[in-house]
Amino acid sequence: MEEGILTTLKILIIGESGVGKSSLLLRFTDDTFDPDQTATIGVDFKVKTISVDGNKAKLAIWDTAGQERFRTLTPSYYRGAQGVILVYDVTRRDTFTKLDNWLNELETYCTRNDLVKMLVGNKIDKENHELDRNEGLKFARKHSMLFIEASAKTRDGVQCAFEELVEKIIQTPGLWQSEGHGRVHLTDEDAGGGSCGGYCSLV
Amino acid sequence: MAADSDPETEVFEITDFTTASEWERFVSRVEEVLNDWKLIGSSAGRSSPEKGEYTSGTWEEKSQEINFADFKFSIIHHYLKQESDKSDLKEELEEDAFPLAMQDLLCMNNDFPPRAHCLVRWYGMREFLVISPGANCEAIISESKCNLLLSSVSISLANSGCQVPMFVQIQQKWRRMYAGECQGPGVRTDFEMVHLRKVPSQYNHLSGLLDIFKSKIGCPLTPLPPITIAIRFTYVLQDWQQYSWPQQPPDFDALLGGEVGGVEFGKLPFGACEDPISELHLATTWPHLTEGIVVDNDVYSDLDPLQAPHWSVRVRKADNPQCLLGDFLNEFFKLCCRKESTEEILGRGLTEEEGKENNDLSAALSKLTEPAAVPMSKLSVSSMVHSARKRIRRHRRVDESPLSTDVLNSILLYLFPDAAVEKSSSPASDNSDGRAAPPNTGSRNEHDKDSDYNLFNQLKSAPSDSLTYRLALCVCLVNFYHGGVRALAHLWQEFVLEMRYRWENNYLVYGLASGAPDLRCCLLHQKLQMLNCCIERKRARDETRKASDNGRERERTLSSGGENGRRGPESAAGSGPAREASPGKSWDSWSDSEDEFFECLSDQEEAAAGKEGEAEKGGAGPSRAKPPDGRLHPHSNMTLLHSSTELLYVPITQEPAPMTEDLLEEQSEVLARLGTSAEGAHLRARMQSACLLSDMESFKAANPGCALEDFVRWYSPRDYVEEEVVDETGTALLRGELSARMKIPGNMWAEAWETARSVPARRQKRLFDDTKEAEKVLHYLSVQKPADLTRHLLPCILHAAVLKLKEEESVEDIPSVKKAIQQATSHASKQLRHPSPDHKKLEEVISQLAAVETVIARARSLKAKFGIGKAEAGEDSDDLEKFVSALLEEPEVAVLGAGRGPAGSIIHKLFVSAQRAALLAPLDDDLVRPGGGVEDRKPVGGGLNVPDFPPPAGREILLRTCVPRPAPYSKALPQRLFCVLMREEFRLGGAFSSDTSFF
Repeated sequence: MEEGILTTLKILIIGESGVGKSSLLLRFTDDTFDPDQTATIGVDFKVKTISVDGNKAKLAIWDTAGQERFRTLTPSYYRGAQGVILVYDVTRRDTFTKLDNWLNELETYCTRNDLVKMLVGNKIDKENHELDRNEGLKFARKHSMLFIEASAKTRDGVQCAFEELVEKIIQTPGLWQSEGHGRVHLTDEDAGGGSCGGYCSLV
Repeated sequence: MAADSDPETEVFEITDFTTASEWERFVSRVEEVLNDWKLIGSSAGRSSPEKGEYTSGTWEEKSQEINFADFKFSIIHHYLKQESDKSDLKEELEEDAFPLAMQDLLCMNNDFPPRAHCLVRWYGMREFLVISPGANCEAIISESKCNLLLSSVSISLANSGCQVPMFVQIQQKWRRMYAGECQGPGVRTDFEMVHLRKVPSQYNHLSGLLDIFKSKIGCPLTPLPPITIAIRFTYVLQDWQQYSWPQQPPDFDALLGGEVGGVEFGKLPFGACEDPISELHLATTWPHLTEGIVVDNDVYSDLDPLQAPHWSVRVRKADNPQCLLGDFLNEFFKLCCRKESTEEILGRGLTEEEGKENNDLSAALSKLTEPAAVPMSKLSVSSMVHSARKRIRRHRRVDESPLSTDVLNSILLYLFPDAAVEKSSSPASDNSDGRAAPPNTGSRNEHDKDSDYNLFNQLKSAPSDSLTYRLALCVCLVNFYHGGVRALAHLWQEFVLEMRYRWENNYLVYGLASGAPDLRCCLLHQKLQMLNCCIERKRARDETRKASDNGRERERTLSSGGENGRRGPESAAGSGPAREASPGKSWDSWSDSEDEFFECLSDQEEAAAGKEGEAEKGGAGPSRAKPPDGRLHPHSNMTLLHSSTELLYVPITQEPAPMTEDLLEEQSEVLARLGTSAEGAHLRARMQSACLLSDMESFKAANPGCALEDFVRWYSPRDYVEEEVVDETGTALLRGELSARMKIPGNMWAEAWETARSVPARRQKRLFDDTKEAEKVLHYLSVQKPADLTRHLLPCILHAAVLKLKEEESVEDIPSVKKAIQQATSHASKQLRHPSPDHKKLEEVISQLAAVETVIARARSLKAKFGIGKAEAGEDSDDLEKFVSALLEEPEVAVLGAGRGPAGSIIHKLFVSAQRAALLAPLDDDLVRPGGGVEDRKPVGGGLNVPDFPPPAGREILLRTCVPRPAPYSKALPQRLFCVLMREEFRLGGAFSSDTSFF
C-alpha cells in the first residue's frame, strides 16, 4: 500500500469559521459536497495519496475549527506542517480581513519558517462576491503565497489547489527532506587532496 | 600497443591480441584513459597564464584506477580551470607549435605559487598527469620498474599524440620524486629529478647550481644564451620574543574562593591555551636576475634578504591548538554516549542516606503533627522542610559528594536567584514574581540582541535568559571543571529535587516564560514550563478555595492530613528523588486527587440543573432556578434573544490544557489513528468536545435561560444569520436564525448543548489535571540519564556557544568568521529541528564552532604580534590591519615595500630580537650550528656580530633558458632547473627539452 510513496506531507487548513474549510477538504478527498457539513470541533484529519510529477506523496491533512475559542487549542497542531491552506470566503469581507491574524498565528506556532502557504478564495459559485480576484492576488503576492479561487461546491480549483501546493512543497528543498547539502569550510591548510597535499610551500 | 588498428590494414590480415603482455595491456589502458579524458591533440594555442593565476584560479583533478597486472595505480589529471578555452583558435596555429607545458616552463608569471601541487611549483605547468601507486601499494623503487613505467608513458604519449606531460611517481611517497615526459611535434621534454638528504657543498650556492645547469644542457653554442634566475629565500621565525603566550586560562578555582556569584556560571570560556600561530615564514624573492648581476658563491653572497625586492609572508598555524570553548563543547558532547543512569553513576552512597533524610524530615513532620498551639500556615511548613533539606545537603558533603557544597550552592543560587530573596525576606513573601526577567547580560545594540534572542527559535533551544539555558551552562561547566559525569548526575538530582520542592510548595519555577509550553523550545524547557503551568493552576485553585473556604474548620485539614500519611509512602516508593518530598506536600493540595472541584454540587442542585435543562429543551420560558454564576463580562451590549433587557454575558471558562510537544505528538497520533471514516471523524469530534461542552456549561451558568442561538452568537457568530425582513406593518426588522449547519438535527453542537448542564467553570470537572501532569513531568525528569540530559541541553549549549562566538567576533570583525558562524548556525538549526538529530552531524557542528574559535584566537594572536590595537594609530595602522587580516585569510601575503615597509620593519624587528635571544644566550648547539651554511659565509644585514636573520630555512633557485638541444642546429627549446636547498633536503628538478626531428 505504501509502495512508491516518496514522502508524507503534513498540510493544514485554516481560516475563519464557515468559510468552507471542511468542504474543500471533503471535495478533495472524497469528491463530494455536503451542504450540511457540520461545524468542525477542534481538529479533523484526512489522508489522501496523490501523485505529482510522477512522485507519489501521502498527504495528512489537518482541518481545523475556525471559531475564536478553538484557537487556543488548534495551533498546537500546526507543528511540523510543511504546507498550509489559508481559506477565506469571497462573499464575506470579514473573513478576508482576518487573514492577517491567521498569518500571525502561523508565524507564532509554526515550527518551520519555510513552509509553503496557499491562499484560497472559496465559494466563487455564489453570486454576491464582496471580494474580487485582484484583492486576493495582491494579498498573496504581499505575503509570498500561492493563490487560487475555488468552489468546493462546483469543484472548481480544488484539486488544482492541493496539487499545486504539494508540487511546491516537493520543489522546496529541505522541506520534505531532512538532509541539506553543500557547506563552505573555513579556509584551511588541508583544502587540497592529492599526493602532494596542496600546501606546497617550500618548508 | 597493437590496440590501435591501422585503418589501412588489409582485410585478410588477422590481428592477434591473444598474446598481449601485461605491459601492452597497461599501455593501451593508459591510452584509453587519455582518450576518455579528451587529452589528445595539440594543447598549444592558449595564452600564457596571468600573473598570480595559479593561486587565484581553481585547480581541479580527475582520477582513475588502472592496473598493471594486479598492481594498482591511479592516474590523476591535474589542471587549472580556465574560463576561456580558445579551442577555436587552435586550427589556425602552426602545426609544430610547442606543447603548452613547454611554453609554461619559461613563463615567469607564476613562480613560487603559494599554494599548488609541487610539480606546478617545480615546473610551472598548468596541466599534467601523474601515475602513482595506488593506496596500500608499495612504492616503485627498483630502477627497472621505474624505467618500465617511463617507457609505458613514453609509448602511450607517442601513440595517442597527447601533449600533456605525464609523470610517474617513484620512490617512497614522502620523497615526492617524479619522473616524466612531455611530447610535442618533433620535440620532447624529459623531467628528471635528483633528491638527496644533504646539500653537496659544491652546489650550495648559485654558482655551483649554474654549473650543473650548463653542463646538463650541454649547449655547444658560445656564448651561451642568457640564463634567467629567480631566487627565493625563506626564513622561519618560531620564537616570538616580545609576546607572551599562553593567555591565562580563566582561574576557576578562584571563583570558588571568595565571592561566588552566579555570573561566572553564566559564561562559557573562550580562547586558545597555546599560541595558535606557531611560525612565521618570510620569503624574500629576487624574481628576475641574470647571471653575473649577483654573486653567490662559497665565499661571498650578494643576497641580503633586506635588499630583496619582494617580500611575502605566510604564517604557520598550530594544528589543533587547545581552545577552551571547543574543549568544553566536545567534553559535553561526549556525555551523549554515556549509558549509565544517575543511580549507577552516583552509586549507592547517596541513596543509602535515605534513612538519615527521613529522620530529618520526620522530625519536621512530628513537629507538625504535635498538637500545636500555634496555627501553622502552609508556608511555615515548607520552610521547615526546606531547612531539613538543607541539612541533608550538608550530610551528603561528608560522604564526598561529587560536587562540593560550595560549588553546588553557588550553582543553585545562580539557577534559582529567587531562592536568595526567599532566604532574606520571610518565606511568606509572594513568589509570583518568579517570572521576572533575570539580569540581562551583554551590552550590544538592540537589533543584535533581538536576533540573538530569537536564536532559540532557530536552534530549538531556550531563551538565553531562561532557567533551561542557565542549567545547560551549569551542566557544561560542572562537567568540565567540577567532576565530570558524576557531578553532573549529582547536580541533576538536586535540580529535580528542587523542581519537586517547588511543585509541592506552590513556588513557581523561576526564569520561565509564563503560559503554555513554547513549542519552539527544546522539550526539556517545555516540560519545565508545563510544570509551571501546573503550579500556577494549583495555586490559583488553592487561592479560590481558601477564599471560599474562608476559614473552614481545621479538622477538615487534619483529616486530609491523615490521608496524606496514608498515601505518602506509596508515592515515595514510586521514584527515587521523590522520597524526601512527599511529607512536604502542601495540605491543601491533597484533594487534587479527586476529579471534581472541591465545591461539589449537592444532589439537589444537580436535580435542579437537570430540570432546568429539560425546561430549556422544551423551549419554555426562562426558568429562574438559579442565579447567574461565573460571569466574566457582558458581550458587547448584546442581550439574550428571549429578552431585550438581559445582557448576554461571556462566562468565565476553563483554560484548555497546555501541552508539550511529546504529549501533542501522542494526541495527534491518537486522533489520526481514528482514521478518516465518518465514525472516526465523529469520535474525534467527540473526544475534542470536552472543551466545547465545558464552555457551554459555563455559558449556561452565566446566562440563565439562554438558548443555543445565544451561545452561537458568542461562540461562532457567523453561524447566526441575521436577515432584514419587513413585517406586515412595513417596519424593517432584523430576524436571525441559526445557520443551516447548526440546525441539522443531531449535529454535535446541538447535541452538546442539550447535554450541557448549567455549571460555572470553577465547579466543573477539570479539563486539565495539574496534579497528574505535574507528577508526569517530575517523573520524566527523574528518569533522565545524564546522557539524556546532555541531549536535552545540547541545543542550549550550542546556542550559548554561538552567542559567545558572535560576541568575540564582534571585537575582531573578521568577515570570514561572520559567515562561518552563520553557516554553523544554519547547519545546527537543520540538525536540531530534526526530531532525532544525527550524532555525526552534530559532531560536525561542534567542530565547525571550534574551528571558528580557533580562527578568532589566531586573529588575536597575530594582532598582538603586529602590535595592532596598541593605541598609536598612524597611517600605517590601517595598512597593517589589512595586512594582518590578509594573513589569516590568504595562504601568502605580499609585504608592501618589502623590508622597508611598515609591516616589513616589524617583521625585521621580530627576527632581530629572536636572533639576539637565540645567539646571545645559546641553549644548545643546534641553535647556532650553521644550518644552510649561508650565515657562515657572510653576516647578513650587518649589525654587531649577530646577523639580523637566521640562516634561511630553505633556498629555492630557478634557472631558465632557451637553447638548441641536442645539436647546435636543433630548435631552441625551453630548459629549466628548479633547485631546492634545505637543511635536510637537496632537490634538483630539471626539465630538459630536445629536438627529436634532426638527431
